[in-house]
Amino acid sequence: MESIGLIRDFLKDRLGVEPENVVPGAVLAELGVDSLMMLELMFEFEDRFGIKLSRDIKTPRTVGEMVSLMDGLIAQSKS
Amino acid sequence: MSQRRVAITGLGLVSPYGGDLADFFTRLCAGESAVGYLLTDDVPRPLSMPFVSCPAFDPDAVLGKPLASMMDRFAQFAMAAAFSAWDDAGLPRKDEGENRDDWGVAWGTALGGTMAYEKGYRELWQKGRERLSPLTVLLGMNSSANAHISIQLGLGGVSMSHTVACASSAIAIGEAFRRVRSGEATVMLTGGSDVPQAYGVARAWEALRVMAPGDADTSATACRPFSADRHGLVLGEGGAALVLEDWDHAVARGARIHGEIVGYGTTCDHTHLVRPEAEGQIRAIELTLADAGLGAADIDYVNAHGTATAEGDPVEVAALTAVFGERAASLPVSATKSMHGHLLGGSAAIEAIVTVLALRDGSIPPTAHLGTLDPACAGVDHVTTARHGQPLRAALSNSFAFGGSNAVLAFRAIDL
Repeated sequence: MESIGLIRDFLKDRLGVEPENVVPGAVLAELGVDSLMMLELMFEFEDRFGIKLSRDIKTPRTVGEMVSLMDGLIAQSKS
Repeated sequence: MSQRRVAITGLGLVSPYGGDLADFFTRLCAGESAVGYLLTDDVPRPLSMPFVSCPAFDPDAVLGKPLASMMDRFAQFAMAAAFSAWDDAGLPRKDEGENRDDWGVAWGTALGGTMAYEKGYRELWQKGRERLSPLTVLLGMNSSANAHISIQLGLGGVSMSHTVACASSAIAIGEAFRRVRSGEATVMLTGGSDVPQAYGVARAWEALRVMAPGDADTSATACRPFSADRHGLVLGEGGAALVLEDWDHAVARGARIHGEIVGYGTTCDHTHLVRPEAEGQIRAIELTLADAGLGAADIDYVNAHGTATAEGDPVEVAALTAVFGERAASLPVSATKSMHGHLLGGSAAIEAIVTVLALRDGSIPPTAHLGTLDPACAGVDHVTTARHGQPLRAALSNSFAFGGSNAVLAFRAIDL
């Protein structure tokens, strides 16, 4: 659940996207997340949660996919 | 190929006074200094120096947060000045059917995104972090300013940056001018910006012993070009932009034309990195006059490089007296860095704007704080209080950089 909060904060801050539009089914590209913004968003995750994303990670397409990916990595890092 | 005339149809800047272009020029003519006192909380020793800041500049408000967050501060100044000049030119920000494939950008910056890299060093070395934002490269690169401008205004032609120390934007403007004059470009957005207050940069400038001292009480008058008691230059942040346009294109769309850019010359002293030589400056001025088809008798104002360093000012006056001969004694000269400071790569752009406005409005802004003239700087008509109602025909703007690179721009008033 922490992941969705970070995505909402990030998109509000960087792109002015309202948090209520950041729902699991929303397509990240349609919210304005281009390849550059995706890099920056992943960096935020690494930074905030102390995780390391491998270079060959599959880029998530939707908010939901990103949340599952990040929640999984965060859980792994805590275990 | 026949040469095109080049109209200046847009002027824009981020004013250190916080107001618009008209306010900026009015304050300059009033001799009002924008120099303040900069005191930071840096460790181990804070910056403490006279400095020109733009505290009223709010990049999020002017550019929108998504765009502003993609830029280092020097590019934010560039984009804001460019938008302002573009709006001033009456051009739509997105092309409305007109092909802009040969419209371009030539931007000047001496330092580029130094602030972004310095932030990176602080993160790594002071805060012990192991990685940096992936945006750092895109914020730091010198060409980020021109790239953002091209993207935002839909300009498909050349997009380039020029880094020539204190002459960066003079050369950017000159190269832009040539492209419009030759017919290669219909419109060029040009200018320059810099942000010299990165801790490492400002400290390095201090070490050169060319910076004027000052505190909260004395900073406003710290920069005194040509004065017997001058003590050096004052750095400042900011950005300024001009729209150069094919004359016929400007006339066809009914654009307001502020003035005409008519000449550009650039040379190198090829002798010393920091000690200027009159000979190289003389060649640059003469090249510019020849390029403009103007004679010494046609020039009614010179906006001097005039940084207020011990070495630089007398050499510039020597160059002017050599070129202008008998005319020199009655040639009005002023150094407006005394008020807006030295913006490094942005200096020539803000001074080009001052020169164009002087010609357009018939008003010469002064060299502020020039009490007792240094005898070594005598020989020209130093303007110490503004002169209004002047029928000015043509003017020069000088930029003489570290490295010995000299660049001079010539402008002509319209309707005279």
